[in-house]
Amino acid sequence: MSERASNRIFDTVNVILITAFVFICLAPFIHIIAISFSSTRAVTSGEVTLFPVEFSLQAYKSVLSDNSMIRSLGFTIILTLLTTVMCMLMTIVAAYPLTKKKLKGRKFFMFIIIVTMFFSGGIIPEYILVKDLNLLNTIWALVLPGLISPFYLIILISFFNGIPESLEEAAEIDGTSQIGTMLRIILPLSLPVIATLSLFYAVGRWNGFQDTLLYITREDLYPLQLKLYQLVQNNMISDLTSNEGPTAVVKSATESLKAASVIFATVPILIVYPWLQRYFVSGVMLGAVKG
Amino acid sequence: MAASKKKWGKLGKLTLAMLMVGTVVLSGCSSSESGGESGSGDEKQVTLKVEIFDRGTPPSPYTVTDNYLTRYIQDNFGTPNNINMEFVPIPRSEEIKKLNVLMASGGDVPDIVFTYDTPTFNRYAEQGGLTELTDLINEHGPDLKKFLDGDALSYGQYKGEQFAVPSKRAFLGKYSSFIRTDWLEKLGMDVPQTTDELYEVLKAFKEKDPGETGGKVIPFGMTIEPAQYDPLIWSFIEPTTEEQKYTLTQKLGSNDYPTLLPGFKEALQFMNKLYNEGLISRDFSLDEDKKQLYQDVQNGLTGFLTEDYPNLYYDEGTYDNLLKNKPEAKLEPIDPFTNSEGKRAKPQYAPNGMYIMIPKSSERSVEAIKYLNWLSKPEVLLAMQNGVEGENYKMVDGIPMAIEDAPQEIKDRLHNAGADTSIIANGNFVGTEEQNREKMTSNFPERFQDLHRKAMEISMTDTFLPINFDRPIEAEGKYGTNLQSKYEEMIVKTAMAKPADFDKTFESAMKDYMVSGGQAILDERTEAYNEMKSK
Amino acid sequence: MRGTVYLRRYWQLYALLVLPLAYFIIFKYGPMWGVQIAFKDFNFFQGIGGSEWIGLEAFREVFQTQDFYRTLRNTLMLNSLDLIVSFPAPLILAIMLHELRLAWFKRLSQTILYIPHFISWVIIGGIVYQVFGTQSGMINNVLMSLGFDSVPFLTEKNSWLITYLATGVWQSAGWGTILYLAALTGINKELYEAAEVDGAGRFKRIWFITLPGLKTTIVTLLIISLGNMIAIGFERPFVIGNKAVLEYADVLSTYVYRTGLESGQYTMATVVGLFQAIVGLVFILGANYASKKLTDESII
Repeated sequence: MSERASNRIFDTVNVILITAFVFICLAPFIHIIAISFSSTRAVTSGEVTLFPVEFSLQAYKSVLSDNSMIRSLGFTIILTLLTTVMCMLMTIVAAYPLTKKKLKGRKFFMFIIIVTMFFSGGIIPEYILVKDLNLLNTIWALVLPGLISPFYLIILISFFNGIPESLEEAAEIDGTSQIGTMLRIILPLSLPVIATLSLFYAVGRWNGFQDTLLYITREDLYPLQLKLYQLVQNNMISDLTSNEGPTAVVKSATESLKAASVIFATVPILIVYPWLQRYFVSGVMLGAVKG
Repeated sequence: MAASKKKWGKLGKLTLAMLMVGTVVLSGCSSSESGGESGSGDEKQVTLKVEIFDRGTPPSPYTVTDNYLTRYIQDNFGTPNNINMEFVPIPRSEEIKKLNVLMASGGDVPDIVFTYDTPTFNRYAEQGGLTELTDLINEHGPDLKKFLDGDALSYGQYKGEQFAVPSKRAFLGKYSSFIRTDWLEKLGMDVPQTTDELYEVLKAFKEKDPGETGGKVIPFGMTIEPAQYDPLIWSFIEPTTEEQKYTLTQKLGSNDYPTLLPGFKEALQFMNKLYNEGLISRDFSLDEDKKQLYQDVQNGLTGFLTEDYPNLYYDEGTYDNLLKNKPEAKLEPIDPFTNSEGKRAKPQYAPNGMYIMIPKSSERSVEAIKYLNWLSKPEVLLAMQNGVEGENYKMVDGIPMAIEDAPQEIKDRLHNAGADTSIIANGNFVGTEEQNREKMTSNFPERFQDLHRKAMEISMTDTFLPINFDRPIEAEGKYGTNLQSKYEEMIVKTAMAKPADFDKTFESAMKDYMVSGGQAILDERTEAYNEMKSK
Repeated sequence: MRGTVYLRRYWQLYALLVLPLAYFIIFKYGPMWGVQIAFKDFNFFQGIGGSEWIGLEAFREVFQTQDFYRTLRNTLMLNSLDLIVSFPAPLILAIMLHELRLAWFKRLSQTILYIPHFISWVIIGGIVYQVFGTQSGMINNVLMSLGFDSVPFLTEKNSWLITYLATGVWQSAGWGTILYLAALTGINKELYEAAEVDGAGRFKRIWFITLPGLKTTIVTLLIISLGNMIAIGFERPFVIGNKAVLEYADVLSTYVYRTGLESGQYTMATVVGLFQAIVGLVFILGANYASKKLTDESII
């Protein structure tokens, strides 16, 4: 078999496999979209799969006319931007010195950081700390406790380590300071991983709500995911609600309203990645070495 | 190099811009934070903090902490008493977790907290975190005492001390059964009156498929929720002596479980038979929120089920949707499960709803009791549960009937009416028990009201109350949640076992249950019973 | 004075580390005193400090329960299977994406593949039921219409493992590719061109250029995964699991949630947490050491 033919077979099989997986990944999302446009009867009768049944825009009308949803969206965007920027800055600043093998105490620093991946004080002391710092019911309670993820820090360090040392040495001989080297040599070469980790931080913040359950009781500081969680999760935990008795249960959101809220809360963060893909250009490193 | 530098420059600028946006917003937040406290300058206005369940569904423009009813409370209780009412939202599904953290961290706990969870109440009481209320109620709660007449108040006691105000249930019925009577007619069968007759009917549903489902028929809709198996299991429990009742019942969470009572094994054996003959939902172990159950009922696949008595009859609810899908369907309440004495024994609710507690750290316990007292005044209860006369309701035979065609924004006033706001009352209190029932029935569409009345009646037929010890069983608090899971695991495993393996499966599941805390509970209950008797 | 020379030379690096270390000390080590709950009979109202010391009693109790060993075994089993199945999945997928020639198709499929990561587990739970259910699940409908017996994907413990793994791959493979794709941008394109001129086939190029280029990333992720062998997320086993397969689906996190947090027994929860932490730390340090010896890559 010729080289070209086997290449073509490889490509074809590859495209087919990826297309199949793409479909599997997309189908549930389409299913949720279909539910959001369908009538409650059709949804609860299990008639909706990939296409809306008894098409209706009612769910979206309710979501979009709910001021608190819109406000939540705004707050979540600000929160996510702030978190991402701060986390990324701190992670970069921590990672760079820790790539320097000659830095005294490096192993010790690494060790105390890695320990925090496994040991934690538990929610009660963490809550007390946030309370004592007067952060309860502020945006900072959602930003500061998770500033640096040791996991992402390790990844960033390993990427920094992959940059040829000759580049840094050259800069140092030129008399550039260490901070200067970091800003001018290391960071520009690391845009793909910085974009990746920013995405990780952003998505983590966007999707996270467990901390808000504890630290926030002001409704104007409710992130979107918390509202979504309440819509989707409430009244589903019947262990809890069974003792309320039927007379106490407040009518819960319809399935299509839940689905529309899911879409409303997911789409904004979904479009971040396509936008970030521009930083995933191959050959950044190559250009730098040559330049 | 140049290209990448440019890129970095762009990213850097963006970063800076984001940071600035962040800072501006933050300073905005923190300044609004500090402003609120001082309030109106009168002498000694105090703040009363009250927990409120946040279910995430207030209609616009209301919020969980600012809506018609919270304003009503402020205007009619707060302001006249120079009290600033502050509502602290607690997410419904994370209630216990959040309450635990608040309690454990001291300070910042609302002055009034509540939970439906008995072990949580017991724990707080045991660990000395709650205010003893007897004197406070005697002094500041005359209306509260009147409202919680009889023994209702005693449900808030822990080892003889009044550590909670229990809310009162208007109606104690729990379960009813429902059957497709149109299928019965088609087959020429009578409404089953006993468990044996029911079994024959289920078999006929399976074999003759009167609903023409094409073999998809589910004669008996089952889930892994108590409402679907409790009535069946309890009907197999043999009549017991008082001692057996006290010692062999196991209270896990807030409910009584019959794990050790005589007849339990036979109940599971019957379920095993139903499962293996294809008479109950095959995937019932997966249905943890009744979603599949409702779907099957709606699609006309299910012939019979047991359920919380009112759940099927809501407007645009399961029965309504069934009628849209199968216009000829008739789903009517029946009461077929009989025990060995011919009684239709089934559990009912205890007279109390949630436990309303005042943490020991609270400095506002007097105001808190005054507030609960105010809530239990009949005129306040009427207004908080029914809104404004002439706008939300009109009086018919002494019962406040909702005005159906009121504008939406008028109806929205009451979106959180009920136990979430009138915390001392669970269900509608409008007068006599008969009137209460009628009021509850009026919440359902007229076409289903007769069915609802019948289901209500069934739910109160031959019922028995939860067993109450004079002291809490500590092992139940410790092992309860784990044992609930073991109990469900036992039901699923024994039902799904091959008939020949049933005994083996039952024994190993029971052994697991006993070593995981079942034995400890049994021992402690036996001890507590002997102690009680020797007094 | 070698010390001052050293400091003069490297003070900037230490300066950079001040804020991050302050963060770890305040926010991570600050609450660490809470660990003492494991040795105390925790009382909510006396607080962690005021509760009574009970020594190792809570440890003794946990290590005596049957459920602890069952959930420990399941945690290790599910994580090992994940390491074999779910760990390589994003790597393979990333390489497949990397080999795509159509730029638009590559971008589009990348963007779609990571969508499952954004669907919350509550919703996934409902969908899994519709897809894998025995009575009316989509897959079984197809199987039965083809004349096969239905497979109890969710209610028989061995078949359930397949469902568990498949859901994990589906949910995280696309998301996991992102990091590999970022690493792949670092590979010099000229290497591929040179290899093509030499007549190396696709698999050879993958083996000799792509994989070595990803080595650091793979090893780093592998070390971290090994460190997490005994930690397990709560939601996936909880949502995909059900009472019929609890024998496999019950893991440390669900067990701690049920018996510890739900019933306010923070002592028990902390004991298990501490046990997991110590084992995790030993695993990650061991993996790091082994990796240093074998591959010369390490994270410390």
